[in-house]
Amino acid sequence: MATAVIMPRQGQSVESCLIGKWYKNKGDKVSAGDLLFTYETDKATFEEESKVDGILLEVFFEEGDDVQCLVNVCVIGSEGESVEEFRPVSASDSNGGQAAGQEDGSFVASAGQGDGSFVTSAGQGDGSLVSSAGLRDRSPVVSVRQGDGSPVAISPRARKLAAKTKADLRYAVPTGAGGRITERDVQAVLSEGYRSSSGDVGAVNIGTAGALRSAGALRSAGDAGGAAVSPQVDYAKLYDGKAEIAPLSNIRKFIAKAMLDSLSNSAQLTSHSSFDATDIFAYREKLKSSPESGVSSGGKTSITVTDIIIYAVSRVIIRPEHKSLNAHFLGDSLAVFNNAHIGVAVDTPRGLLVPTIFDANTMTLPELSAHTKELFDKCKQGSAPPDLLKGASFTISNLGSLGVEIFTPILNPPQTGILGVCNVIERLKNGKPYPALGLSLTYDHQAMDGADSARFLRDLIVYLESFTANLEA
Amino acid sequence: MPKIQVMDPKEIRKSGFITFSDIPVNQYKKTVKDEKEASQGAADSGFKDDDFVRIYKDMAIIREFESMLYSIKTTNVYNGVEYNNPGPAHLSLGQEASAVGQAYLLDENDFIFGSHRSHGEILAKGLSCIHKMDEKTLQGIMEEFFGGAILKVVEDKQKDVKELAVDFLVYGALAEIFARETGFNKGLGGSMHAFFTPFGIYPNNAIVGGSGTIAMGSALFKKVNKKKGIVISNIGDASMGCGPVWEALNMAAMDQYTQLWEEGYKGGLPIIFNFFNNLYGMGGQTIGETMGYNMLARVGAGVNPEQMYSERVDGFNPLAVIDAMRRKMELIKSGKAPVFLDTVTYRFTGHSPSDSGSYRTKEEVELWQEQDSLVVYGKELVDAGVCGQDRLDNIQAYVKDLMTKTCKLSIDDNLSPRIKPEEVGKLMFSNINIAKLEDLDPSSAPQSVDVLQTKEENPRVQQIAKKVRFAYDENGKPVSKIKQYQLRDGIFEAVLDKFYTDPTLVAYGEDNRDWGGAFAVYRGLTEALPYHRFFNSPISEAAIVGSAVGYALSGGRAIVELMYSDFIGRAGDEVFNQLSKWQSMSAGVLRMPVVLRVSVGSKYGAQHSQDWTSLIAHIPGLKCVFPATPYDAKGLMNSALSGTDPVVFFESQRIYDIGEQFVKTGVPEGYYEIPIGEPDVKVQGSDITILTIGATLYPALEAVKILKDNFGISAELIDARSIVPFNFDKVLESVKKTGCILLASDACERGSHIKDFAQTITELAFDYLDAPPVTVGSRNWITPAYELEDYFFPQPDRIIDAIHQKIMPLDGHVPKNNFTEIEQLRRSREGV
Repeated sequence: MATAVIMPRQGQSVESCLIGKWYKNKGDKVSAGDLLFTYETDKATFEEESKVDGILLEVFFEEGDDVQCLVNVCVIGSEGESVEEFRPVSASDSNGGQAAGQEDGSFVASAGQGDGSFVTSAGQGDGSLVSSAGLRDRSPVVSVRQGDGSPVAISPRARKLAAKTKADLRYAVPTGAGGRITERDVQAVLSEGYRSSSGDVGAVNIGTAGALRSAGALRSAGDAGGAAVSPQVDYAKLYDGKAEIAPLSNIRKFIAKAMLDSLSNSAQLTSHSSFDATDIFAYREKLKSSPESGVSSGGKTSITVTDIIIYAVSRVIIRPEHKSLNAHFLGDSLAVFNNAHIGVAVDTPRGLLVPTIFDANTMTLPELSAHTKELFDKCKQGSAPPDLLKGASFTISNLGSLGVEIFTPILNPPQTGILGVCNVIERLKNGKPYPALGLSLTYDHQAMDGADSARFLRDLIVYLESFTANLEA
Repeated sequence: MPKIQVMDPKEIRKSGFITFSDIPVNQYKKTVKDEKEASQGAADSGFKDDDFVRIYKDMAIIREFESMLYSIKTTNVYNGVEYNNPGPAHLSLGQEASAVGQAYLLDENDFIFGSHRSHGEILAKGLSCIHKMDEKTLQGIMEEFFGGAILKVVEDKQKDVKELAVDFLVYGALAEIFARETGFNKGLGGSMHAFFTPFGIYPNNAIVGGSGTIAMGSALFKKVNKKKGIVISNIGDASMGCGPVWEALNMAAMDQYTQLWEEGYKGGLPIIFNFFNNLYGMGGQTIGETMGYNMLARVGAGVNPEQMYSERVDGFNPLAVIDAMRRKMELIKSGKAPVFLDTVTYRFTGHSPSDSGSYRTKEEVELWQEQDSLVVYGKELVDAGVCGQDRLDNIQAYVKDLMTKTCKLSIDDNLSPRIKPEEVGKLMFSNINIAKLEDLDPSSAPQSVDVLQTKEENPRVQQIAKKVRFAYDENGKPVSKIKQYQLRDGIFEAVLDKFYTDPTLVAYGEDNRDWGGAFAVYRGLTEALPYHRFFNSPISEAAIVGSAVGYALSGGRAIVELMYSDFIGRAGDEVFNQLSKWQSMSAGVLRMPVVLRVSVGSKYGAQHSQDWTSLIAHIPGLKCVFPATPYDAKGLMNSALSGTDPVVFFESQRIYDIGEQFVKTGVPEGYYEIPIGEPDVKVQGSDITILTIGATLYPALEAVKILKDNFGISAELIDARSIVPFNFDKVLESVKKTGCILLASDACERGSHIKDFAQTITELAFDYLDAPPVTVGSRNWITPAYELEDYFFPQPDRIIDAIHQKIMPLDGHVPKNNFTEIEQLRRSREGV
């Protein structure tokens, strides 16, 4: 069987090394003791010798590449043996350049998807995307422990797979006997895109039992096909009849997880502002009195405030200076979208859903309004196609109609921004009252600075305050 | 149970007396002078002066050899040569006359088997052979043995071949005692096991009485294969207290040899059970303390009406022993055997050099030393005018010089190196595949093997021909049990085939003939084979296995049976110390083509239902197989019977009637072999591996179905088939695929070989494991009554429960058996 040669770890503090020089080429015969390559830390250069005889079947990195410690660098074996199982994930990406799914709209957009596609492609784009920020500064913990101090059981097979794939075991839900994390649990973690940047399983701190359990509770919902995890704690007994234990719905569990992930894995903060809604209210009044405009029915206009804000956002956000908000944050790069794909949060009987208005910036207001209405209806009926529940580049959430004055919407990573729409408050300007509509913009400080977000808010406000003029322009 | 022999109550219940004839006790009273006078003018058999002197010389060589060892053991020096020998040395100082007297008439066709105290016997027998052999044969033996490695050390062009052969003999024995690669057995036998087959010197045995059954088996080999010579079992007086010795006496004297065996094979086995009676078993005094016979020769009289021609011989007089041997060998030649000899003698030193002598007085030893045979016999030589004292003095000088020189050679690490440790591993098995061990002499045998009919005429063969060789018909429906080709048919076909291929093959055990074995495996063999190839043994498990050891190491092939695996205990030493060890202790000189069939029972409770594969697997030198399908049973039996290694062949009584469920083309009618050591994937799967030993395959097969039908889990089922040797490749490949493994066997779980398998798998596939390897064996209880067996042996539900609780929780499964850690710890704590 083939043998992988890993990038050795020269000291605990070294995370990665540079490949110096290759002495063997792919296809070369090597003997134990042959020099394979040199590698460099910031302090010294080391030589790596082959420990086995065989053929150098595959080389995953080139001279000058920065390779994470313990990651497979090359494979030695016999002619014809497969090397695929040894191929490091990041290497396949850097070689193939397939940031899978970037173009197919399968990116994260909505919570509430039960099919496990929630963060899949984003995770593949870069191992560090989801969890790097949260982990990078943690001190390594040698053994993963549960709250009671006993180690969390991880099968050797699962541990090996996790090490190879950098699966983030914090998200693993143990389904093995006795609460052991097994291979299928790691595969489940991977299928949902949770990878850690370090790739060092030993350094992954599952943390408290509570964190593990909550992750477990979240995930067991999506794991409909697999064996159910029996609850580890008898809550009914714990609450002794004083409270009724209501199990979470699947969608609730999914949302819970998505929200927690968002907060733990991004640098989000919220800026609040408001604009003078006189113009948009006037515009809606005008539509009411002009049924011939074709966008009203029965004297009641179908253009909502939300429609107007989606329309405005789609026009402003595609401006080059605001590209960091119409984008996905990929850790070391931004995926900037050409068009605006606006996700809109909808309160449905099943819970929160976020359908996507793709290419909103190319639609006329009536088109956009009609499309939005149709999508909302489908969501409320539970018939929204899954493809329309993901792939957004920016999200809008309107709680204003429920009287919320101000709130901090939570990002849908890897999106970089979400706009909360608040209620209308009367304010005074130059002594005169006017309807002020509140806006709360949450953005990822990783992707942009505060001023960038402020400029976007300012431009959006300007656009909305002169909405009619802009519409006709 | 031959029907021709009627047990008539009139005869059995008739009153009367058993009468014994007198047992001669030390009746020989002649001196050298008497024999010299008697020999004058007599025929060839008479003694010549040189013969008398040669007897003295051989005794002197033994005396000096043992004195040298005594000196080295107690003072670390002999005649200025310093050496520390940490190994054992059970010396026979004082017993020289008995050994030389016995060997005097023997040649290389006569086999002697010895004890822990046999240095003297080795030398005496070797010296006698050297005297009788022509120089060319001698030279050939020395050049061929281990490629001349021993000869090279002692080679001296100045010496004549016979003189050189003596050096060769003494050096080969001493180098063996000093654990040198240039010893007769490359140092792997040592003091208590040294031997040299080209001179008819067969294994000496460190187990008291161990040679009793083995020598008897060697005599069986000589009788069945019409070989020249007799066999002598040299054991001590205390060995008469060992059960297997009694078993050997009885089995050598069975009535059937005279009453049932065919013409040309009649008469007891050509063996002398010679007891070198030195009056002590370690410190236990056999007369007056530990035995009740008073005179050992008495025991022989009780064995058969011939009283085993028993007598007591004065082992302090070499001429008395020669006289007895001459008479006994004549008896054996005329078919009057076996023979029982009580050769009294005395050892001057202790049991071993560390013996403090707490059990006997100095005065007693001195009484015997006053009659020291070497001194007395030497004086007789001079008195009879055979030679002058100067000749005896020269002999004394010669032996001193011989021992000094040999001692120096033997301790020289360059000339006499030690075996490389890894070489020992290569000697554990001979791993030879040979269809037949020899051909019958075409001049005396009309056919290539001695059989009574053609295979086609055999009723069992005809019956099997009507059977269906796969368990299911073309529609997948089971063929009726009676028409299925069964596992027992597979064993039968292989055994029958070998009887028609290898003329040396013999089969015996309890109820083999007529009955066809308690489980009908051998039904049909009785019709096919004469008694001397297939017979019923006494209920003597030690003798059954021990004799097979002797039969095989003498050059034949044997398949013997212990009706139940549980009876291995009755043959414990023979299986664990003899069958397993002689190939390697001989450094590959001997081979051990023995198949030991043992059957694992059920329904019969605690002493008849145990799977003891693990006990066998623990002992180095035994191959161990346990087939569970007719195809495997036949193929593995063919391999076992064509090999040269001891194979303990486990069979399960629960599945003797099982049909072939896996090989869709059915069990081939022709000959094929399944290599020993290769497990077989019976059902392919991807989610979990299940490895079973023996009949546990079937409950596991049911578990596989349950996993698939109820839980959608695809299990891969592997049948170990062999336990030793065992190739892990397929198992590891499977585990790497599935990530988990359950191992099951009917053996009691504690110390079961599945634990050993599991440990190896854990080591070799650790990073691939998704759960620890889990074992399901029988409970660590006695086997309960049949009605309760389900609680004891692994059942499908126990396998499922173990998977559920220890490997992968099964959706909705409610376990019935407790596989929790707490329970596991409790059982261990309580030893149950």
